[in-house]
Amino acid sequence: MAKYLFKRILYGIFSLVAVVAIVMILIYSMLDRELVFAGDANYVKQKANQKEAYKYNKWEQYGYVDYVPYGDYLKDLVKAGEIDEETRAAAASIGRKEDKDSEITKEYVAKFKEYYGSKGYTIVRLDAKLSGKKVATGGQQQLFACRDIPLRERVWKYFTGLLTFDNIHKVENISGERKLTFTWHDPAYGGYKLSPAILGNGTFHKYLLYVDDRFPYVHQHFASLNLGTSYTVNQGVDVFTTMNAPQGSYVKSMVTYPSGYTEMSADDLHTATYLEGSRDTSLVNKDRFTDDYTNVITKKNGLSKIGYSFVIGIIEVILAYLVGLPIGVLMARKKDKLADKIGTFYIVFVIAVPSLAYIFMIKAIGGKLGLPTTFDMESTNRLMYFLPIISLSLPAIGGLMRWMRRYMIDQMNSDYVKFARSGGLSEKEIFRKHIMKNASIPIIHGIPGAVLGAMVGAIVTERVYVVPGAGNLLTIAITKYDNGVIVGVTLFYATLTVTSLILGDILMSIVDPRISFTTKDR
Amino acid sequence: MAKEIQKQTIDRKKNDDVFAGYTEEELFARVPLDSLSAEKITAPRYSYWHSVFRVFFRKRLNIVILSLLAVVVLMAYVYPALVHYDPFVNIMNSTAKHLGPKAAMEKFGYNIHNILGTGGSGESTFDAIWYGSRISISLAFISALINMVVGVLLGAVWGFSKRVDMIMTQVYSIIANVPSILVIAVLIMLVGASFWSMVFAFTITGWLFIAYFIRTQVVIIRDREYNLASKCLGTSTVKIAFRNILPFMTSIIVTLAASEIPGYISFEVFMAYIGMGLSDKSLGVIISEAQSAMVTPGWEFEFWSPVAITAIISVVLYVAGQNLGDASDPRTHM
Repeated sequence: MAKYLFKRILYGIFSLVAVVAIVMILIYSMLDRELVFAGDANYVKQKANQKEAYKYNKWEQYGYVDYVPYGDYLKDLVKAGEIDEETRAAAASIGRKEDKDSEITKEYVAKFKEYYGSKGYTIVRLDAKLSGKKVATGGQQQLFACRDIPLRERVWKYFTGLLTFDNIHKVENISGERKLTFTWHDPAYGGYKLSPAILGNGTFHKYLLYVDDRFPYVHQHFASLNLGTSYTVNQGVDVFTTMNAPQGSYVKSMVTYPSGYTEMSADDLHTATYLEGSRDTSLVNKDRFTDDYTNVITKKNGLSKIGYSFVIGIIEVILAYLVGLPIGVLMARKKDKLADKIGTFYIVFVIAVPSLAYIFMIKAIGGKLGLPTTFDMESTNRLMYFLPIISLSLPAIGGLMRWMRRYMIDQMNSDYVKFARSGGLSEKEIFRKHIMKNASIPIIHGIPGAVLGAMVGAIVTERVYVVPGAGNLLTIAITKYDNGVIVGVTLFYATLTVTSLILGDILMSIVDPRISFTTKDR
Repeated sequence: MAKEIQKQTIDRKKNDDVFAGYTEEELFARVPLDSLSAEKITAPRYSYWHSVFRVFFRKRLNIVILSLLAVVVLMAYVYPALVHYDPFVNIMNSTAKHLGPKAAMEKFGYNIHNILGTGGSGESTFDAIWYGSRISISLAFISALINMVVGVLLGAVWGFSKRVDMIMTQVYSIIANVPSILVIAVLIMLVGASFWSMVFAFTITGWLFIAYFIRTQVVIIRDREYNLASKCLGTSTVKIAFRNILPFMTSIIVTLAASEIPGYISFEVFMAYIGMGLSDKSLGVIISEAQSAMVTPGWEFEFWSPVAITAIISVVLYVAGQNLGDASDPRTHM
């Protein structure tokens, strides 16, 4: 079994990599890049050469290309200590045309061309656009190197960057000794309450391990998952964080900052990350913090995107199984009688009518009954969950009814049932002990998928009821060309599917000992 | 039962009367052995499709469903050809927009165009719905047809060949995990949101799911005893596929096709709702454009009528297909 599982997981990982590669081909190679600028107000304002440079700059942010302006190359040289600031300043100003470059500029432009040319970059030099004797608006001369990121490198970079481990050499300039400290008294709680924590200096996160009152109570920052950085949906934030960060309005509490300053604030000191020079540039930070770990996330009262989707989804799943299965069993027992006919009518309705139609119907009926039809994070009214859950569970109940009935009827015609009947067992006993057990095996196979699928959220339902869930993330990302989010969300969904299939198989083989995935076990 | 026995005895009595007066020799004569006709098996004449329709029309509900289907098809395909419909005829007339049936009738006269009122740009909702239905039904039908043909053929090969099965199962587990919304969105951005590009987007990966379904069915019956027996007797694989397996699959294929077509109508509505719909005014586009009308008092008709028509079309197609699928299962032909 272990060997089989290992093989399955390996295959699963392989297919995940392939899925990501396909998605990357779809969005980076097949889509027209110019579409990115369709809704960009800044792009329209740009003119001539500046527009070109702006385009490549944006494309780099969206992850299409590697783009290196000549100026950045020189700055890197200064950083590496190869040239000094004076040379940089002298070499940086390129002429309006190539032959108008000064000697020193020529030298470094040649170096620039050679360095990036050998790495497969295309060197682009745009001569100044003149209107009369003056440079036209946006017509300044440009020199940069760019290249499309090849697929293999893109996939490799993505998967190697998926998990990052924080260590004490993570940030460059740090004051004080690089170390990890363990304390029994978390300073974020004032330093007297018993609450273990591990703090770091030199790490990216200040708190590497801490305890608080939010599920799952013990949190760590040693390893973090990077599914892909968002560009338009939630700028600069990782997809996984976007899906998991609390939403809603701020929850303020008395916060004692490291400097001893106390104030009503929503800042969650446990989320502090390093931001170089932030204490010197901001008086607010200077008052509150004693080091550069100033970048904190605020506490909010709502759930995360996945949280809302999961709460609605899991109740829907439980409801569907609790209602759908018994009705399916009833339909099979009363085959061709009234109960079966009513049930079949319902199944046909749910399957054939577009989901949008009955979701709207439920919304309209619910609205007439006075139930809240839109979701509001500020409201404490639990009734607002009612209509989304009903809208999701009606089709799920129909599907379960249909399959449970089908499996039960298939089992009813098999020989062992006839044998049991001839052996004198009562119908009730045959149904409960023989048919039900066998018919529920394929149903059980679907349970992990249903539970994990609850996290994905529902696109239409969440849109109709304005639920701030995870269901719409992918469609929003597609319409906003947020490539990082598309890749991240796809990987997340695909992982859930692959995991739930494996879990389903395991669960099935636990429930039914006849099922074995290895030939040896038989 | 008792009646039958009684009838049989009457029959025998009749026969006795007929045979009266013959001698034993006259009644029983030796017949020369004819080995050729001895091989012949006589059975009642059985025509597969004849039986399918006999079973199908035995249910009275099916006749109702079929006539409803005929009405829908007639309205979707013949009505738009006969009636001239211009969605922008009243675009400049602000008093013609969002009218209920009653107001529209009073304004434009009592005719069939106005029985459902007018929409957001003053167009007749009734006409818009049938123009939209034509697009939606065509889209669903063509997509389903392409998917079914490709899916069934490749699914059969996939199920038969173990080598193909190994590769294709891996391919399936990859492709099935790429969100279809993403594939469709990318394709639409690439080739535009016209009718045929939508068909292309729906079918490029759609066949794979049908092929997988067919593959599973083929795998289930591939190794049944009667196929093994056929193989032992030297029947070619092609003949086994067409004579042994395909008849078994007919009802499955019909049932699948029956859920495919309404499935694509729903899917088109869904895609339009999330903003990736057709550029033509299909049912889905009409519904998503009239969304705001749902909650506006007096405008309900322009939202609920396309929704209702979509529901009717889907249910009719689905039920007709399911029942045809049931009827095409030879086990129901008793």
